[in-house]
Amino acid sequence: MALRRKSKNQSDHDASEPVAVSIADMQARQYVCVSGKVTRMTARPTSGQPALAVMISDDSGTVTAVWTGRRSIGGITLGRRIAIKGIAVARGTKLEFTNPSYTLLPR
Amino acid sequence: MKVIIAGAGSVGRYMAEQLQNSGHEVTLVDNQVSVINNRPKDAKGGVTWHLGDACEVATLEAVGVADADIVAAVTGDDEDNLVVSLLSKQEFAVPRVLARVNNPKNEWMFNDMWGVDVSVSTPHLLTALVEEAVTVGSFVRLLSLEGGKARLAEVTLAANSPAIGKELSDLGLPRESTVVAVLRDGHVVVPRGDTVLNGGDEVLVLVTGGVEDDVRKALVG
Repeated sequence: MALRRKSKNQSDHDASEPVAVSIADMQARQYVCVSGKVTRMTARPTSGQPALAVMISDDSGTVTAVWTGRRSIGGITLGRRIAIKGIAVARGTKLEFTNPSYTLLPR
Repeated sequence: MKVIIAGAGSVGRYMAEQLQNSGHEVTLVDNQVSVINNRPKDAKGGVTWHLGDACEVATLEAVGVADADIVAAVTGDDEDNLVVSLLSKQEFAVPRVLARVNNPKNEWMFNDMWGVDVSVSTPHLLTALVEEAVTVGSFVRLLSLEGGKARLAEVTLAANSPAIGKELSDLGLPRESTVVAVLRDGHVVVPRGDTVLNGGDEVLVLVTGGVEDDVRKALVG
């Protein structure tokens, strides 16, 4: 997350470095880093404007990351391992990242 | 609940006062020194005032958006309201983000793409209320919920409405809609399946999905 910056009196909840967790252990509103394989990619028209939804799976579960304003991201393909850093929003019972930062991991 | 309000103009201040009276923890953010200096001194505490630009992540972090339940972006500037909404949702995952639409031409942007859960457009609302006041027998949309997926609509039943004299359960309303209230002679009738509709009743209906036309057909004809 490019915008995130260090503040003097940060709490654990909002530390400048994310907590690495497995997908099943993620909680909403926690700054986390998760990694896994891309298992599904959907170009969805969110309210008429493009958005790319990518489902990432590790051994424990799945989570969706949505990047708005685009239909594809170079390097993100099915089966690719990626790491996601960001804060997930609870959408119903599921968690979803909005425009998180990502790193492509070696295959 | 912890509520952060961006924009301490008349709208923001009024909201803060009302919410504080009902026991919520409210923080007002504004970037104008004069506004902050002119805050009411007799306030009984409760409302925290913060000088800063709510369009900056650092300010949002400082006022505690990270654990806020609701962020309301109610400045007089649509661009600012959108930036506050986007940052609150994307950087802090705030569960509920409300934004004020100043210019109805911008309303199309106030959706989940910009992190807005609920948008309130005063001009739109006024138009709807005027329509509601002057029209009998037509279907008036009052409020959009969940980014337009659900709508609260109102129909004042005309004398020739096909719904008159029928029980609600016999109207054949689609499953995706619910009659939430019937206003009759200044009273609110809580609707049940056996409630019989009369001419002049104001019927409030919650409609989701694409069933608006079916509801219209059942109530208006």
